[in-house]
Amino acid sequence: MTLRIAILLMVVLVAACRSLLSPERPPSAPAEATTPAAPPSAAPPAAAPPPTPTAPARQYRLGSAASALVVQAHARTAAGDYPAATATLERALRIEPENPLVWIELGRVQLAAGNAAQGDSMGHKALGLATGDPNAQSAAWRLIADSLIARGRNQEASSASAHADALIPH
Amino acid sequence: MARRPRKIRRRRLLWGSALGLLILFITGSAIYIYYVDRSVTLQFQGRRWTLPAQVYAAPLELYVGAPLSMTDLLAELARLQYRPAAKLDRPGSYHREDERIDIALRAARFADEMRPAQMLTVVAGARSIEALRDASGHDIPVLRLDPLLIGSIFPTHGEDRIVVTPADVPALLPAALKAVEDRKFDSHHGVDPEAVIRALWVDLRSHQIAQGGSTLTQQLVKSYFLDSRQTMGRKLHEALMAMALEAHFSKSDLMNAYINEIYLGQDGDRAVHGFGLASQFYFGKPLGELDLAELSLLVALVRGPSYYDPRHHPERALARRDLVLKLMADLKVVSPEDAASAARRPLGVTTRAAGAYYPSYLDFVRRTLRRDYPDTDLTQEGLKIFTSLEPRAQDEAEQTLDRELARLERSRAATTASLDGAVVLTAPASGDVIAIVGGRRIGYSGFNRALDAARPMGSVVKPFVYLTALETHRYTPASIVQDAPVDIRMSNGTHWRPLNFTRQIYGPVPLVRALAESMNLATVAVGMDVGVTHVAQTLQRFGLERAPAQVPSLLLGAVNATPLEVAQLYTGLANGGYRMPLRAVRSVLSASGAPLKAFPLQLTPIADPEVVFEVDEMLQQVIERGTGRAARSVLPRDVVVVGKSGTTQDLRDSWFAGFSGSHLAVVWVGYDDNRPTGFTGAAAALAIWSRVLADLGTSSWSAAMPESLNEVSIDYFTGLQIEGTCANSDTIRIGVPPSTQLAKKPGCIAAAAPSAAGRLVERLRAIIHQ
Repeated sequence: MTLRIAILLMVVLVAACRSLLSPERPPSAPAEATTPAAPPSAAPPAAAPPPTPTAPARQYRLGSAASALVVQAHARTAAGDYPAATATLERALRIEPENPLVWIELGRVQLAAGNAAQGDSMGHKALGLATGDPNAQSAAWRLIADSLIARGRNQEASSASAHADALIPH
Repeated sequence: MARRPRKIRRRRLLWGSALGLLILFITGSAIYIYYVDRSVTLQFQGRRWTLPAQVYAAPLELYVGAPLSMTDLLAELARLQYRPAAKLDRPGSYHREDERIDIALRAARFADEMRPAQMLTVVAGARSIEALRDASGHDIPVLRLDPLLIGSIFPTHGEDRIVVTPADVPALLPAALKAVEDRKFDSHHGVDPEAVIRALWVDLRSHQIAQGGSTLTQQLVKSYFLDSRQTMGRKLHEALMAMALEAHFSKSDLMNAYINEIYLGQDGDRAVHGFGLASQFYFGKPLGELDLAELSLLVALVRGPSYYDPRHHPERALARRDLVLKLMADLKVVSPEDAASAARRPLGVTTRAAGAYYPSYLDFVRRTLRRDYPDTDLTQEGLKIFTSLEPRAQDEAEQTLDRELARLERSRAATTASLDGAVVLTAPASGDVIAIVGGRRIGYSGFNRALDAARPMGSVVKPFVYLTALETHRYTPASIVQDAPVDIRMSNGTHWRPLNFTRQIYGPVPLVRALAESMNLATVAVGMDVGVTHVAQTLQRFGLERAPAQVPSLLLGAVNATPLEVAQLYTGLANGGYRMPLRAVRSVLSASGAPLKAFPLQLTPIADPEVVFEVDEMLQQVIERGTGRAARSVLPRDVVVVGKSGTTQDLRDSWFAGFSGSHLAVVWVGYDDNRPTGFTGAAAALAIWSRVLADLGTSSWSAAMPESLNEVSIDYFTGLQIEGTCANSDTIRIGVPPSTQLAKKPGCIAAAAPSAAGRLVERLRAIIHQ
């Protein structure tokens, strides 16, 4: 009985910060929720956030495959080869389709290639996936803000920047 | 006496004309020879084989954690025609020991880079890849296997070939060709008089012109410049042309041309030319990897690709191959031991011809490309086309469709096996079309139902009716709607009185249940309330290209769509409200490998993510409690999927469309002549749909609930809000807008608001008490 209470207490503490569980998910989901998109054993799970009220509920990381591809894509972007960078990031996306960080990378390349509307859309797509992860949400808002600036929509851009700053100060 | 001079005159005249004729003949021949020489040389010098575009499947990505078992990996290596070997001496082989497999990868070209041949070690567990290392034992984060060549785009009645350079050709092949077809190739000047006389003798004795006696050069001429009719005049012409070629080109040039030119097989409309393609066509691997037995078979085919067709006449092919081996041993091209051991090998041809594998998918590729490229570019320029096809998924979908249709027919004791169907499979996050099955006859390039069978959508249209309703913000998934008799007076004075499929009337029901159980009357009530026009607009926004007729029956699916179009519509639902053009082609490279065109992923926002999430959650109840329940017995318990069944009038069409986290699938089942099938969407299409997803090891649909929604518990049957102690097996949790006011089920002792923590505690308590 003491054990049960202890377990319950621990669980309440962890959960108090923010929901880890979406109740419709199968019981196996919680383990995935802490490293939502990493393929099983792809990378050591992101260090569990300490159970303090300010800790984020989720922190998206890239698995080792996707991060290698992102590194490769950065090199290709730096060389100005946007189509190749896009192709590389699409590989990462096929491996981790629900990881907002990949969408943000893809949106960044689109923006650099002069396709700000796609940058904007991908920022919003990432934002939808980043629920519960302020770091990823903030990065998505920054992508949206930069895409809006590129389209000359400065007022909306500053509002998007404000969202980003409110989550994670720049 | 007077006669003699006349005689002399006559004789002179005769001689004169003979001389004239001779001069004429010599001049004529000279002109003819000059003409032949010029034209042959010019044509041959500027020769350029028309190169059909080559089409590749998506390469399999390997990384630690990739959901691939050793079995999957071996199946893929088999598709790529890698051979098991004790020692990894050449690219294209592998060695397996328990969970570890060493692979000598071939060099491969991808859309974005070349990969040299290299060694790879993979450790694969029961479900996923556990390690990936290079030759020196260093971990590799991610690596692609070779992209599978799935076919080419050749002219309608045309030649298909893969051109090889001398470097790609094993030295044994020219040696074998010379031994079997033309022993004096290295020394003759285009014709071999001895061989001609020998052949002529045989011809005379058999009173017909048989093959033989032609040098390789003559065979090349015949194939390259002439058609196949054999007459004496033509033979002479051919001999002249061969001599002309010999005078101007080196032996190695001619040998290489021969290897690329010669006809080696037929595949429907497609003529297989050259040893490069023949190697792929019969063995599924590059020419350089063929062993002695395999090479000998190809050499054997030169004499008569249809007579010796190893797939249709294996015994003839085997006898001829062994004759080739014997000739090679006799002429000391190979040792007698090698020839004998090769003669003990089976033919080893692949069961299905490469390139005929996936005609439905290639059909879609061709249609996609025709928007951007003229036919001549596709059939002649040697383009390399990289597609999204996943061979494993395609094989799975083809087999499942056929197996399940056969089962359904047995269940109805159908007399004819003509029930048909189509499957479209996509990866919803990227819009990649990963498989297309256009019908039951696999490998048959006939009517492509996935692309061309535009049939009434039936109830698979309903999610878009409900989505339109939610967009008005006057409805939530928990809203109560009336499932009551409908009577709509049409503009022509008639009345439309639809019924529920069950013929029952359900009265007040929550929106979620109306959709889950596909209630027609409730759907019409909702749809008429929000407006048929708006529903039509929603469909177009999600990608329906033709404007649907704006009639009330649209609400029940009186709008035609192909399985591919339904897949496009559902992509928006699977993607949180973004439209993404479905892609078969990722990129196109020129023959030299320069990127010509890419089809990058593109997102267009078309609906609020909140609204789409609400629809998806309702569709989840289709599977949990509604018309899609049968899927639960096929799919693993913990895998969440969403979808919608569709059945049209008199059970003519059976549909199921839906998605998981990793796959989106649309299945249609029906008869081509539109006869009633006797099956509902739930009975026929769903069985195929859930089996395909289960076999692919699909992952859960797990979209995060938008922060702007609130999760509530309601009673599935009444829509009343459930709190605390009242929760039972009829309670479902769904997201609704925070402003939603719900009637509460009376008599419940309200617990604390259902916070995440509370739910977790409850769940843990349940686990501990188990």
